[in-house]
Amino acid sequence: MSKNGSRKRAAPPSQPPPAKQPSMTQEEEFMDEDVFLDETLLSTDEESLILRDIEQRQSLATRLSKWTRPPLHADYVSQSRSVVFQQLEIDYVIGESHKDLLPNTSGPAAIIRIFGVTKEGHSVCCNVHGFEPYFYICCPPGMGPDDISHFHQTLEGRMREANRNSNVGKFVRRIEMVQRRSIMYYQQSNYQPFLKIVVALPTMVASCRGILDRGIQLDGLGMKSFLTYESNVLFALRFMIDCNVVGGNWIEVPAGKYKKTARSLSYCQLEFDCLYSELISNAPEGEYSKMAPFRILSFDIECAGRKGHFPEPTHDPVIQIANLVTLQGEDQPLIRNVMTLKSCSPIVGVDVMSFDTEREVLLAWRDFIREVDPDIIIGYNICKFDLPYLIERAVNLKIAEFPILGRIRNSRVRVKDTTFSSRQYGTRESKEVTVEGRVQFDLLQVMQRDYKLSSYSLNSVSAHFLSEQVTSSNPGMPLCLGHEKEDVHHSIISDLQNGNAETRRRLAVYCLKDAYLPQRLLDKLMFIYNYVEMARVTGVPISFLLSRGQSIKVLSQLLRKARQKNLVLPNVKQTGSEQGTFEGATGDQNNDDFPAPLANWALSLECDNAVLEARAGFYEKPIATLDFASLYPSIMMAYNLCYCTLVTPEDARKLNIPPESVNKTPSGETFVKSNLQKGILPEILEELLTARKRAKADLKLAKDPLEKAVLDGRQLALKISANSVYGFTGATVGQLPCLEISSSVTSYGRQMIEHTKKLVEDTFTTLNGYEHNAEVIYGDTDSVMVQFGVSSVEEAMNLGREAAEYISGTFTKPIKLEFEKVYFPYLLISKKRYAGLFWTRPDNFDKMDTKGIETVRRDNCLLVKNLVNDCLHKILIDRDIPGAVQYVKNAISDLLMNRMDLSLLVITKGLTKTGDDYEVKTAHVELAERMRKAYERSEDPIYVLENNIPIDPQYYLENQISKPILRIFEPILKNASKELLQGSHTRSISISTPSNSGILKFAKKQLTCIGCKALLSNGHHTLCSHCKGREAELYCKTVAQVSDLEILFGRLWTQCQECQGSLHQDVLCTSRDCPIFYRRKKAQKDMAEAKLQLDRWNF
Amino acid sequence: MERVQCSYHSEDEAFKIGKETYRGQQYSQIYFARLHLMRTLLYSLVPHWKPNFPVCTVLGLEEGKECVIVGTLYKHMKLKPCILDEYSKERSVVPLVKSHNFMHPDDHLVLEDESGRVKLSGNPISPSEYVTGNVVALLGKESGAGDFLVLEVLDAGLPPQIEFPLKSREDKYVVIVSGLSVGSSNSNPLQVQLLIDHITGHLGDEKEQTIASQITHVVFAGNSVEIPRRLLNGQNSTSKDLSRMAESIKELDILLSQIAAGLTLDIMPGPSDPSNFSLPQQPLHRCLFPGSSQYNTFRSCTNPHCFELDNVRFLGTSGQNIDDLEKYSDAKDKLEFMERTLRWRHVAPTAPNTLGCYPYTDRDPFFIESCPHVYFVGNQDKYETRVIKGSEGQLVRLICVPKFSETGVAIMLNLRDLECHTLSFGTQLSS
Repeated sequence: MSKNGSRKRAAPPSQPPPAKQPSMTQEEEFMDEDVFLDETLLSTDEESLILRDIEQRQSLATRLSKWTRPPLHADYVSQSRSVVFQQLEIDYVIGESHKDLLPNTSGPAAIIRIFGVTKEGHSVCCNVHGFEPYFYICCPPGMGPDDISHFHQTLEGRMREANRNSNVGKFVRRIEMVQRRSIMYYQQSNYQPFLKIVVALPTMVASCRGILDRGIQLDGLGMKSFLTYESNVLFALRFMIDCNVVGGNWIEVPAGKYKKTARSLSYCQLEFDCLYSELISNAPEGEYSKMAPFRILSFDIECAGRKGHFPEPTHDPVIQIANLVTLQGEDQPLIRNVMTLKSCSPIVGVDVMSFDTEREVLLAWRDFIREVDPDIIIGYNICKFDLPYLIERAVNLKIAEFPILGRIRNSRVRVKDTTFSSRQYGTRESKEVTVEGRVQFDLLQVMQRDYKLSSYSLNSVSAHFLSEQVTSSNPGMPLCLGHEKEDVHHSIISDLQNGNAETRRRLAVYCLKDAYLPQRLLDKLMFIYNYVEMARVTGVPISFLLSRGQSIKVLSQLLRKARQKNLVLPNVKQTGSEQGTFEGATGDQNNDDFPAPLANWALSLECDNAVLEARAGFYEKPIATLDFASLYPSIMMAYNLCYCTLVTPEDARKLNIPPESVNKTPSGETFVKSNLQKGILPEILEELLTARKRAKADLKLAKDPLEKAVLDGRQLALKISANSVYGFTGATVGQLPCLEISSSVTSYGRQMIEHTKKLVEDTFTTLNGYEHNAEVIYGDTDSVMVQFGVSSVEEAMNLGREAAEYISGTFTKPIKLEFEKVYFPYLLISKKRYAGLFWTRPDNFDKMDTKGIETVRRDNCLLVKNLVNDCLHKILIDRDIPGAVQYVKNAISDLLMNRMDLSLLVITKGLTKTGDDYEVKTAHVELAERMRKAYERSEDPIYVLENNIPIDPQYYLENQISKPILRIFEPILKNASKELLQGSHTRSISISTPSNSGILKFAKKQLTCIGCKALLSNGHHTLCSHCKGREAELYCKTVAQVSDLEILFGRLWTQCQECQGSLHQDVLCTSRDCPIFYRRKKAQKDMAEAKLQLDRWNF
Repeated sequence: MERVQCSYHSEDEAFKIGKETYRGQQYSQIYFARLHLMRTLLYSLVPHWKPNFPVCTVLGLEEGKECVIVGTLYKHMKLKPCILDEYSKERSVVPLVKSHNFMHPDDHLVLEDESGRVKLSGNPISPSEYVTGNVVALLGKESGAGDFLVLEVLDAGLPPQIEFPLKSREDKYVVIVSGLSVGSSNSNPLQVQLLIDHITGHLGDEKEQTIASQITHVVFAGNSVEIPRRLLNGQNSTSKDLSRMAESIKELDILLSQIAAGLTLDIMPGPSDPSNFSLPQQPLHRCLFPGSSQYNTFRSCTNPHCFELDNVRFLGTSGQNIDDLEKYSDAKDKLEFMERTLRWRHVAPTAPNTLGCYPYTDRDPFFIESCPHVYFVGNQDKYETRVIKGSEGQLVRLICVPKFSETGVAIMLNLRDLECHTLSFGTQLSS
């Protein structure tokens, strides 16, 4: 490893090794890492080297300087104005304790750094002093105030032993006795003495916890081990909680309370020191709910790969970097530029900067970052690819001064490999590049987190979300006229780079497009608003939202609430049980129309125990759906389920609580009612739901679109947060699992559903004067489907409303049954699988709603998706069952006759398996296999096409089509399988002969008659003598085929030309996500063949 | 009575595809070839048009500097149907409304040359008039927003014309008919037979026969038969269907041989004929016409079709070029579209973008080098005609030839003075 590589390691050698290697990723998530300020900075001679380098680059600097932030007002310079800023990032470093602000302390201390932006657009770096890391332990009985100092000494001694290399003067700063209570279990006594242990540095919390966990010898008490409280709270979060700071809110530092730093360490315009007690944290309301004009940089790099290889930083140069800087709230970018290696022709509206060496390109980018000073860096896959690549490339080129991209002067970015795993998002390996003071927002990560898509390439994601608008909003940019992003294969990139200024310009246009699209996605999907609101609601820094799991958000809220009540959270030893990791809570998932970018967070992974048996069938009468609004949160509120209301069986016997003051849950747990002790979780939930109601009400009144965006983001964040509380309690490897709560919730849930079913079926009967007997046909986790027997949607709606109201009355508040929609007709396949037309108004249906049906799964080929969609369309909307049957038959016949469009048959999942795993080598394997090796053969996807490799229709019929189709038709047809999959339409089979297989190399080609396929003897070229008489009609047939192909050929290729945004240049696009990619290729091939066939007539 | 004769010279060679094949070539080459041809031409005109302005490429534009640029237009159209939509998009519950014109007020033009693209603004260039594929010269300047503000537009203008032959004082007629649609439900066999009989002189009194004897040539401008597409696209077309289709072709062959026995005829393929789809459409195969093709007076031609009769130059199409222009641009009548194609010196500017065409690699056969005297377009809704004049004294007779099967109208054109009138055939007995 080179010299530079090793220096990037941030951990100083003197840092004490953690007491115990954390074994679980979940735990790792909650580790602080002390970064020593001095060690990250470059030495002074290196610094002067860089300064010299900067001087040399003065000319470039003037070019960059026009993009700097607005100059500071004199009030700021004289420090006579309060600094009010929206903070985006909070971290901490270890530095020397501030002598003026903290005259009584010395030695290293943790300094909180808050980075943010004022409303004028000035960048702020606020160094907060005096906040100390701490945690609690329960005061051992018998330990009086006098014993504390002795305990302190013992602990200090043990700490010193464990951290021998450290030069810290005092490890345990002080120990205070405070009155607190554990959050766990209902307790009649109010408070108990706790010891608050304040340590010098954040990592010492873990080290100290280790010592106390293992046990410590105490005079008079002997060897004693302690359960620690709140020792797993990250330092930055601890600060935020204690100072009432929530992610992305506005912080005010009054004039006179801050001091300009002696030596400015950051590139921020306003850099100052202050005491943590002087900060004013503003609640995100009114003026403070707005967003500061922060700068968002969207960038993309291009690397010149070698043929057959994915670009590697050890070999392949970075040839272009495109940048787009936008101010939050503006719809046009402030800056558009591209930095290229070697000359590049100008692009209208874009600043093209060309350099002769790669070194200059990289350094120009670094200077650009420094001048523009972005607050948020976005891009597509930047965290895993672009940023690490740039940094590793600089290491390879020995450009030591490159990776100074953060806001701290001369501080290098830090790179580390991380594994993030969560049941919800799966395990992902990534590189974490820490760019101090700037938030990284990788759109790829966001997409993978928030949306379920069949492909996550920028290309297809853009097409999915932006298709209708990509073109209109960018007049200055001639490059985005395309329908969607064109995909240039990496092997062509080198050719373009090695061409001339024109070809490099072409490349630059792609690069710009890749930088432009993430910004468009960010705008279109309101990510800034939604994520900032989520940070505000849950109180965690914005960066946590992307890099960490769900539980920290709930933990943050729980800690905040507990702090108000003087409750403390135990740091429960994790059991290490693998089952039941964090599960997302279930909520009112039926709100599918919810435009929810974050809706998937509330994915229901709940086991089936709360589901009623589905009575499969095709219902041609309206089915009313009764939904529980926020069922699980409501249950927790209604029955006061919380850590602090739970009564252990032992206590239940001992404490003698009157039975009318407790609830026994269906799962057998006991919780006290709110008159004895109000639960914290119900309180949090209540606040979240009230806040959501308020946000929704405000949303209705709001007129300003930006205000609306904020409020909508907020109500969404509130909903998701409310739903994730339940999951937090059920996560056995989580922070504070409490299965008593989660199992009680689900058991109540099930009870509610059954209760509803019973009540509906008992009440809505002919005996009670209704026209029909109501029948519950299915019940989901939080909804019940009822067939009232009436035939009009309107009647069903009325009855649905009546039922919801009546049944709601029988529940404990706030559990409430709501009536929202009617399905008509409704195709119920099995539990969690259904389709139907969705009505909320009696006059017209809203949409077709499907659940659990193969319309989106990515491991299905397009054929299945289209087939299922079209069938459902025919069945539900056209109400044409015979038509649907015929449609399926035709499709099967087409498949068997080899008339199917190849692109419909591509299966994407093949990427996970290697070819050997498949028993039979069929064409789709070939396709998948080839795609896996895509970097070895540039024209692979077309391989099958070009070599006439036979498609195995039986495979598709049996493994792809039959199951989904039968599922749909079984409730409708009696002998679905026989009817659809067997019969005359399956008899005729045609398989193309591979042109590259062994035996055919020996075969001699002989012309056959176009009419009857008979071999032609000498003299005849087109038709045999028998068919000669039908010459005209056979010619018509041939020419008609040519004609059809010509239509297709023309439309496909002109479309691609349109996408690429140029008429005069060949289409290079090889995007496999493009729906017409294979068709285009196939049309080209078929066209050539058909033309040859036609030419046979012209002898 | 003797039929008048005239000399015939075919200029179709440029439209023949012959042995050219699809080898993976794309459409960029034809645009490139067109830009090259047209730009050379426009550059030669610019010094007379705007002698005092520099000529730039799109890349060479500087903000605020007035200059002339030449390039291919691209019209961004919101409503233009897109093949991507019909493929993978969520199928909408409401079927898309098919409109016959895809114009939208938001449409805008972009000028492109090899170096880049620039969005156009300014009144002199109207997005409703131009289409993707036009090559024009523009005077203007780059505005602050990165647009090119157009101040004036220069089209290539009518091409040079060979001299109109004046020596002939004799009336000679050419009959142009389109859309016989033999085999379609609209076609009236009696009406067609009347037309044939009139041309061959088997109808009417001596006066009429005299006129008939002055007919020297007949042009069938496309859609002579109608082959139901579904018969051919259908997966399993039965031999019965096929032979029924062959029936209509046979019928046409019989009709044509009656004419070919007496005078020369040109038959052009149209969209409904058994020919290829892309322009230039290739001559209908002789095997379809076993009878009439025996005569040397029978000529199967390309579409577009270009020929000279007694040194009078004809250019005609079966209508696709003008019909397509009508979908993507706007004009007061069909003749105006025709006039524009002449001024643009391009028969089919929308090809290949929205009009199928063969992907030529080195040339653009639709470029009009020499101005025709007669320019006709077949298969239109109604008969229209006008004479236009060029700046260098060119005179062109424009004719919209109506569909015969719907109107019963054929066109008679006098070669002597390019006067033209209609022949109407009706089979209804008027009371």
